Amino acid sequence: MTHSELQQFIAFLMERGWTVFAPEKRPDEVVYTKVEDAAKVRLISEPPLHSFKRFLVPPEETLFEYKKDKMAEVKKMEKQVIFGINPVDLKAIVMLNQIFERDPWYQERMRRTLIIGQSLIPENAEQNLFQVKYEEDILEHLQFDIFLEVQRGKYFVYTGSEEGQKILEDFGYKNYEHIAYAGPIKEEGLDPAMVKYRDALRKNYKKEIWEEDVGARCIECGKCTLICPTCFCFDMKDQPDLVGEGGTRKRTWGACFYNDFSEVAGGHKFLKTTAERIHFWYYHKFVRIPDQIQIMGCVGCGRCAKVCPVNINIFKVLAAL
Amino acid sequence: MKNPYQTESVKITKIEDEGSRSRLFTFAAPRGFKVKSGQFVEVSLPGFGEAPISLCSDPSEKKKFELCVRKAGMVTGALHKMKVGDKVGVRGPYGRPFPVEIGKKRNLLLVAGGLGLEPLRPAIWEIVKNREQFQKVQIFYGACDENDLLFAKNYDEWKKKIDLHITLDKPKGAKTPVACGVGVVTTLFDHVKLYKRPVAFLCGPPVMYRFVIKKLKELNFDDSDIFLSLERRMHCGVGVCNHCAVGSFFVCQDGPVFSWAELKDIKGAI
Repeated sequence: MTHSELQQFIAFLMERGWTVFAPEKRPDEVVYTKVEDAAKVRLISEPPLHSFKRFLVPPEETLFEYKKDKMAEVKKMEKQVIFGINPVDLKAIVMLNQIFERDPWYQERMRRTLIIGQSLIPENAEQNLFQVKYEEDILEHLQFDIFLEVQRGKYFVYTGSEEGQKILEDFGYKNYEHIAYAGPIKEEGLDPAMVKYRDALRKNYKKEIWEEDVGARCIECGKCTLICPTCFCFDMKDQPDLVGEGGTRKRTWGACFYNDFSEVAGGHKFLKTTAERIHFWYYHKFVRIPDQIQIMGCVGCGRCAKVCPVNINIFKVLAAL
Repeated sequence: MKNPYQTESVKITKIEDEGSRSRLFTFAAPRGFKVKSGQFVEVSLPGFGEAPISLCSDPSEKKKFELCVRKAGMVTGALHKMKVGDKVGVRGPYGRPFPVEIGKKRNLLLVAGGLGLEPLRPAIWEIVKNREQFQKVQIFYGACDENDLLFAKNYDEWKKKIDLHITLDKPKGAKTPVACGVGVVTTLFDHVKLYKRPVAFLCGPPVMYRFVIKKLKELNFDDSDIFLSLERRMHCGVGVCNHCAVGSFFVCQDGPVFSWAELKDIKGAI
């Protein structure tokens, strides 16, 4: 597929009623924006500051509308295309797909979402901690609808879903190869890095990391949880209408660094100190998620280190485990 | 796909005061609703939100279930203002219950502190109603004072079938339905002889767990013979939101009842 064909394809999707989000290079940062002009879409090797996360797991979503004691499920989702996700971030989608496999809203949103991945992966460790490479067998372990392998100004097109195939066919493009998803775990077995960090963190509680270093520096701002493509903890709360007997039940992003995350009736908190909270964050990603679904809960995008106001670097923390 | 967050509407059929600070709510049970000791429901009051509350009623009652609620937050505060005939939403029951069946082969020791008697009450009723099927059972219950004693009306019936011991931490000298000792619940271990090799079910605050488990270990209880129910903040109740995570467990699904063998190496579990 040539670049102009790709732009035509994006224009075709927009004509068909899809809202397309694509990375856009701004003076400071690469950010996801809504595409207004398909001719401006390009593939950017630098990952966007904010990942795709908010399109699949919105910061706030309405789950139910209620009137007195009647609860009615709400599913208001538009057809969306998330364009240009690199394999590092696609791993986060693989994880979220499993975490939310029984979630009616996530699943409905996924049914209305077209994921278009691309092969430009940053080589620097700051944006690719686990040194993910674009290799032969990588695609069969990722979930996407369409994937563009960048080849000297052109793209080789892969499909990962029937939906992806159908849309390409409708557009009139047939020269794609289909990849059957083989699950998140490679044939060779569990990811050795996952096993290493999981076992280290499960076996040892190193006071010098959690209490003397990061626990003493962290200011509990929660930026890492907002920016992380795999942080998905959430709160549920009701928002009554100002007038009348109705309202909505909402789900919003939660953050394990915030004071009320572990607070129970009566005021007791189970995560009292900063050290306990940051340990909880790491434990979730590197032990609990691996125990649950056998893959790491961190894709190594480095966004948390980039936004941390006190320079807590996940790379260094992992090296010290 | 069934929506796991969809609640079912149930009617309040009875409200009684329970101690001076709690109320016992009886609800008409939805079809097929089963109560197990240690399990909980998410109670939903639109406009106020949801709160996880332990089931405390007799499991043999199929048409109703009970929740004993102390006013402690938004949902429980709103619940305390409700009247017979009002409706609330529930989803569940959720969680792993106490392994009551063990009591058919082994003696049981139930240790409750404060509100911790609530999740154990279904087990107590099950034992009392099917006494001949169970081995010997003792209850150690510690409350703050006379006004905080829960389910006082049941003690006479329980006492006939179970060895019941109650102690008050700060007694006011008021009349009690049964004779009560003075002190925290661990003091009972100094005065009461335990049955042979019992399995312990504990429910109470973390501080009680620390002292009671220490006692039980001094008495050579196996870690796998000690079961305790953990309290945590919960939002989803179905193992996703992570508020209730303890180690790699979710208290809402893997618990709330755990064996001490499962928890003892997890920092901050109690």
